[in-house]
Amino acid sequence: MILSRRHLSLAAGMAAAVALTAGALIASTAEAAPAPEVGAAAPEFTGTTSFGETVSLSDFEGKTVILEWTNDGCPFVKKHYAAPPSNMQSLQKSASADDIVWLSVISSRPGSQGHVSPEAANQLTTSRSAAPAHVILDESGEIGRLYGAKTTPHMFIVTPEGELVYDGAIDSIPSARVEDIPKADNYVTAALDDLEAGNPVATPSSKPYGCAVKY
Amino acid sequence: MTGFFRRIAMAAISLSALAGLGHAQMDERRAEAELIADRVSVAPGDTFYAALKMTMDEGWHVYWQNAGDAGLPPRLILEEGTSLPEDAVGAFLWPLPHLIPVVEGEIMDYGYDDEVIFAFPVTVPEDASGEVRLVAEADYLICESICIPETADVSLTLPVGAPIENAVAGAEIGKWIARVPVDFAGEARIDDAAEPWTLSLRQPGGFPEGAQIRFFPFKHEISHPAAQPQKAGAEGASLSLTPDRAGSIAETLDGVIRIDVPGAEPVGYEISASRGEAFAGTADRNVQSALPGTGAGAPDGAGDGAALGWQRIATLAFFALIGGIILNLMPCVLPVLSMKAIGMVQAASTGHAGELKSHGLWYTGGVLVSFLALAGALLAVRQATGSATLGFQLQHAPTVAILTLVMFAVGLWLMGYFELGSSVQNLGGSLANRSGAAGAFFTGILAAVVGAPCVGPFLGAALGAVIGQPAPAVIAVFLAMGFGMALPFLILSFVPGLHRILPKPGKWMDTLKQAFAFPMFLTAAWLLSVVAGLAGAGAVGWTLAGATTLVFAIWLGRQGGAVRKGVAAVALGAAFIYPAVQANVPDTSVAGSSEAAFTGAYGEAAWSPETVEAMLADGRPVFVDFTASWCASCQVNKLTTLKTRKVQDAFKSANVAFLVADFTQKDPMIAEELKLRARAGVPMYLWYPAGASEPQILPELLTQELVIGLVEG
Repeated sequence: MILSRRHLSLAAGMAAAVALTAGALIASTAEAAPAPEVGAAAPEFTGTTSFGETVSLSDFEGKTVILEWTNDGCPFVKKHYAAPPSNMQSLQKSASADDIVWLSVISSRPGSQGHVSPEAANQLTTSRSAAPAHVILDESGEIGRLYGAKTTPHMFIVTPEGELVYDGAIDSIPSARVEDIPKADNYVTAALDDLEAGNPVATPSSKPYGCAVKY
Repeated sequence: MTGFFRRIAMAAISLSALAGLGHAQMDERRAEAELIADRVSVAPGDTFYAALKMTMDEGWHVYWQNAGDAGLPPRLILEEGTSLPEDAVGAFLWPLPHLIPVVEGEIMDYGYDDEVIFAFPVTVPEDASGEVRLVAEADYLICESICIPETADVSLTLPVGAPIENAVAGAEIGKWIARVPVDFAGEARIDDAAEPWTLSLRQPGGFPEGAQIRFFPFKHEISHPAAQPQKAGAEGASLSLTPDRAGSIAETLDGVIRIDVPGAEPVGYEISASRGEAFAGTADRNVQSALPGTGAGAPDGAGDGAALGWQRIATLAFFALIGGIILNLMPCVLPVLSMKAIGMVQAASTGHAGELKSHGLWYTGGVLVSFLALAGALLAVRQATGSATLGFQLQHAPTVAILTLVMFAVGLWLMGYFELGSSVQNLGGSLANRSGAAGAFFTGILAAVVGAPCVGPFLGAALGAVIGQPAPAVIAVFLAMGFGMALPFLILSFVPGLHRILPKPGKWMDTLKQAFAFPMFLTAAWLLSVVAGLAGAGAVGWTLAGATTLVFAIWLGRQGGAVRKGVAAVALGAAFIYPAVQANVPDTSVAGSSEAAFTGAYGEAAWSPETVEAMLADGRPVFVDFTASWCASCQVNKLTTLKTRKVQDAFKSANVAFLVADFTQKDPMIAEELKLRARAGVPMYLWYPAGASEPQILPELLTQELVIGLVEG
């Protein structure tokens, strides 16, 4: 039995060596990008607008900023731009009236759904009667990844002090149905009301719903 | 006509929505949706299973109850025209999903492609008459790279009367219900004290080697796209989970673990992990993870360096070693040993013992190199063909049929019915005639090469054992066999006097070889019974016909002549291929997760009235499960109740005789009993408390509480 024991240890030793080699070959898996924390400083970014201007988050210091990830081909985006009730457009207009900066961000890579030329982006704004302060064309997906934008729509709110106070869905009913809009609680409106009243945001984050961002 | 008016109403309601969506996708849907049921007709008070069956276009998918980062789960919205109260229609049973990596490492979804069936229980009101109608809208988001919300009007109408099973739809529904994760029999804990979190899964004995585990949460506590590095041990396994940025655990972390084992259907368990320290013995070694759970079926390319069950591999290697030693007794190896090796021993024994030892080591090296090459070739073939997924679990009927025939052929060869490869016997002799270390080395190679015709059967057996194993295991087993083959000569070279007691080649070798045929035939017989279990009597008949054809082909080939040989070759091919094709029947019985739901014995004995009487006479309580593989409710009860550890433990502690009456094939005795109890079909559950003469007939939908209450009451 000495021999078989020796043999077993040999076999085990060899298998161990092979296993170790295999272990050394383990491919490192891609880590999900660390996304910003609600309550922390919103990450600084610089982007190019549909009018060719360069804007940075720091340009709007002292103002509340709303970031909206969008893709005009996505049914969930269509739901919130559907007229009536023009949900997204009315939010943009009331934001603008309250001196809040609304940035629509398009992170679709070239060739994917929602990727548009600067002219087409402006055309969309006009045809949908939308009223964002700027449309940022982020075809590299850099800004989207910086914020961890997962879906269209995906909403973020930044305070005048640069703090990220909301990250999540536009409202509480995840569906592509227009008729659900009136029934849903709009998280963006609620967060803005909280901010205006000087209260902490009651729902600082929620699970965004929509189409995956076409990185 | 009602449908027509309803459509008009529907159109009016959804017009505003459609206006927003730009264009209607009424005609060009990406999925077919329909309602099916496991009944042709239902009785008042009945509970049966209906299901939403979805068939998706190539490349499109729908979502699990938790869609992941993006997407929405399908739902069924009951509409006007439904003749059932709202609470009569139960929720979807969600089958085990697979991963849908949308953006590698960034966006991960969970769902289904090709086809999925969402079963749900429906209870017929006690006062139902005429017919039961379900009118609904299937509302689902279907995505490829883009997403489209679709709706489909679906309906189901069943007459109320005697309950009659729908065997075809029932089998389909049952198959998908069997894929619904069942409660995990072990324990789960989540340690969220440090990041990444550790999900520890305790399952005594550990998980099968090569198991790749993925956790699918019901909510969004964790980052969906993050990898889940896996560790394993004798007591289970653990996963490292990356929390979502806002992720925290309130009380428990709930979700489903999906376990992919090469060669088997993926299995899912529902877990509810309470917070606490990881269990010991669940993180002793790393497991290479190959993003499991992406395929709907078994993953391909069994992972190199996946989890190794050391004990199992050691056992296999030990048997391979014994097999290698036996090889030395084979007629094609012993002459080599005798002529070359023993000659060397004698020549060297007059000289230096030291040189002899080095010869022994070189010879061993030669044998090992040959076997290593064989293992490498096998792994290359496996990689190329993906046949690793066939596994050794003997779950794939065609594989088992072919294996049966191979064992039978090996038995024939051992019996001396035909010769193999006598031409290789003369190979490499010149190389082996060299003297010194090189000569010894090539003698080792020669022994393996000329021994190949005899090695074949043993290799085949070893191969069968390790085909589904990771590469290190395959290599270890092959090397063990080679080492076993070299061992006698190695001992001889270290203990020179021993060669005198070496058996001389002679007729006894042939006798021994023939004796080895009987275990082979017995193995074939056992494999045949496995074929029967997997694919039924027809496949067994075909396998036996294949065996006959095999003998015919050998008989014809031995007579010589090109034409005869050609016919023989064709017959030989047919002998293997046809049975395999015949054995490849669609498996309508319940496979996968239900089989694994509780691996304990299901049913102590087959039911018969006499068995019941005998058990009752012994003073034991009796539980009888009248079931069938095509009966969906039966499978659900099996999954949720009868196979669960709790219930099985309760049966054990109360000494309950658990009998199974399988009505999958028509059985007059069972039919008689059903008639006696005034039941139209299965499921039927009978409970005889200890000492009772008449049974209680239990409801068709069992719960653990109900059964355990009866047993303990």
